[in-house]
Amino acid sequence: MNGTEGVRHPRGRDLPPEERERRLRRIWDPPRGILGALSVVDHKIIGRRYIATAFVFLALGGVLAALIRIQLATPEGRLLGPDVYNQVFTVHGANMMFLFAVPVMEAMGVYLVPLMIGTRNIAFPRLNAFSYWIYVAGGALLWIAFLLDFGPDVGWFGYVPLSGPQYGYGKRADIWAQMITFTELAALAVAVEIVVTVFKQRAPGMTLDRIPLFVWAMLVTSFLVIVAMPAIMIASSALILDRLVGTHFFNPAEGGDVLLFQHLFWFFGHPEVYIIFLPAVGMVSTMLSTFARRPVFGYLPLVMSLITIGVLSFGLWAHHMFTTGLPRVGESFFTASSMAIAVPAGVQIFCFIATLWLGRPVWRPPLLFVAAFVVTFTIGGLTGVMVASVPLDSQVHDTYFVVAHFHYVLVGGAVFPLMGAIYYWFPKMTGRMMSDRLGAWVAALVFVGFNLTFFPMHVLGLQGMPRRIYAYQPELPWGGLNLFVSLASIILFAGFLLFFVDVVRSAVRGAPAGDNPWNAPTLEWATTSPPPSYNFDGIPVVTSANPLWDDPETLPVATGLRVDRRELLVTSVQRAEPEARESSAGASIWPFLAAVATTVMLIGSIFSPWAVVWGSLPIAVALVGWFWPKGAPEDEA
Amino acid sequence: MEEQRLDRSGRVLAAALAGLALSACEREERVMRRDPPVVAALDEAALLPGGVGGAEPLAHVALGKPYETNAYEIAQGKRLYAAMNCAGCHGDGSGGVGPSLIDGWWAYGADLPSLYATIRDGRPRGMPPYRQKLPPDSIWQLAGYVQTLASYSAKTAAPGRDDAPQTRPAENRAPATQAPLEPPAR
Repeated sequence: MNGTEGVRHPRGRDLPPEERERRLRRIWDPPRGILGALSVVDHKIIGRRYIATAFVFLALGGVLAALIRIQLATPEGRLLGPDVYNQVFTVHGANMMFLFAVPVMEAMGVYLVPLMIGTRNIAFPRLNAFSYWIYVAGGALLWIAFLLDFGPDVGWFGYVPLSGPQYGYGKRADIWAQMITFTELAALAVAVEIVVTVFKQRAPGMTLDRIPLFVWAMLVTSFLVIVAMPAIMIASSALILDRLVGTHFFNPAEGGDVLLFQHLFWFFGHPEVYIIFLPAVGMVSTMLSTFARRPVFGYLPLVMSLITIGVLSFGLWAHHMFTTGLPRVGESFFTASSMAIAVPAGVQIFCFIATLWLGRPVWRPPLLFVAAFVVTFTIGGLTGVMVASVPLDSQVHDTYFVVAHFHYVLVGGAVFPLMGAIYYWFPKMTGRMMSDRLGAWVAALVFVGFNLTFFPMHVLGLQGMPRRIYAYQPELPWGGLNLFVSLASIILFAGFLLFFVDVVRSAVRGAPAGDNPWNAPTLEWATTSPPPSYNFDGIPVVTSANPLWDDPETLPVATGLRVDRRELLVTSVQRAEPEARESSAGASIWPFLAAVATTVMLIGSIFSPWAVVWGSLPIAVALVGWFWPKGAPEDEA
Repeated sequence: MEEQRLDRSGRVLAAALAGLALSACEREERVMRRDPPVVAALDEAALLPGGVGGAEPLAHVALGKPYETNAYEIAQGKRLYAAMNCAGCHGDGSGGVGPSLIDGWWAYGADLPSLYATIRDGRPRGMPPYRQKLPPDSIWQLAGYVQTLASYSAKTAAPGRDDAPQTRPAENRAPATQAPLEPPAR
């Protein structure tokens, strides 16, 4: 690995540490000022923004959930009218799925993956910045439309014909469809970055069997995103075309197909569940290992089950459509495959239990959330096996039983691990610890509140209460349980409120964390908290799966990267052997401008097809500026 | 000075946002059940003698003319067109036993009050009255919809397309037809 012939560029290894740090800071530190803030490409800053924005959407969606629970607390509730209620549950669902759950998981990956695999920035850092701005624009589109009283009202999966031209009057369904285009564009960008980062930028020596499980989970998730998201983008774009320019994709009278929309949606929608769940599995594996004080039990089965779930998740989408009148053979196939996916999920749960059993657990807040996850997710998984069977599903389809089921798997399976992960990685992100005492309270309140809120919904569903009704008559036998659910949800809200209080309190005056407060084994703990803009002084060299445990005193590092321009080490896919020094893009305002231009085009295209034509021109200008050739070689082998 | 300018631009921005918000509200608002006194007031169209032409009820103006500008109301009119079997005589709009509604020739007036009166009270030579079958607000929805079939100027709101074979030009073509017109030869 020598420099360009004849030219001697300064390398880190030739310099004293202070001088090396000064020079690294000069090239890696983000630019200042408002323009600088819009130009940042540092994965940590963008990851932090992504996470913070996603939690803002969580809080907003929580407010809508509160409105729903107040409305349904008593028969014939009068807080919301039918039209507003339709918007409220649609925006609640769409917001939680598209603006919170998926982006927050991707965001954790954006922040953590480069640190966990020991590189200086994510691959395609400008695309990363672009992705964030597109995501913010999509979120703003949905919420501004909702606040102006034309939020979508067709349910979070927006089935045609309800969302189609005949029944979806006005622009409400277009807002929903275009919001999807925004968020899927953002998610696809991040997925591509993570795949490339994991495959080509791992620290030397981090062979495939030494990759941390969270990174494996993000890798599988990213492939899921890459395969699943185009289906929904086709569905939403075809819907907009049907509504705007008179195509007939979903119009049976002209040879279109209404069910095609459901197939396209759920071909994305079911993997989506695992796009949310797999990163959570990765977080749980990582935290378990740290707090059980031993390497996770069954690394290989866990990786295999991640991949198995990823593959199987594409084979069971039709179990959302059992009541649409599919052929019997199809129903049987999808019943079988839906039950089959419980096998790898079960393998994971047993590996987690075995890790706890064989370790010496330290019950700090992250582990409390892991315990809450195991219990809650298992219940959700069991009702999942129940609704996988056609006779039962035909009975409980579109009732509160299903509402209870998917809240158990999504909140239990993803939000609990995520909250644990915030407690776990907050010290790394901010340099300050969150409170153990408040953390225990949050875990207890959220766990108890969640189960008291959502378990009775199973019963309500079996009693026949349909989902998405804005009111029910006093003669129906649902009043008591609904009141109980609404009261119990106060506990749940208190838990989330306390969580946000703890986050703000700790960010301001939490105890200083130090580099590795949990004595954890993975590479992100090998640098300072918060990490410097260049992540690692020297690129770590990995010799085992748990580098900070097996070799706590001395972590070998690779040197030789230049300190006068942003450079990364590119390694081989399987064995992570160094291959080249690759330049990494610096800060730029163009991704922001490109995102603004894209936003104008996408929102304009709700109203006129000509917006696509004229809106493409500013995008082209922004992309030309973005990719203007620099004249410097990109990599040196 | 600087502050003043900021202040003014802030006010302009706020006004623009408020305007956007108001226009959005009117266009997308959905009133699923109007209050009975409002419905009663909607029946008070002041028609000229002869039942063609006249003033809209004040209630319609006070509501912001939803039956002209609100997509939901117009689309409800479209559903009523099917539900009340308007197609039995007028076909898909291009006429049958009854006259065509898309050729731009309105024998009894093209304005909303006239259309309202046509549907409510009926007309000679076959158009039955609907005042016993529909409440005033539904008749307004229907009138608003029928007007879009051949309006002289495009409206800002349109009903949705049918998921059915497309047999006639779309509603709310801009402009659908231009006055003056020849009466249809029948």
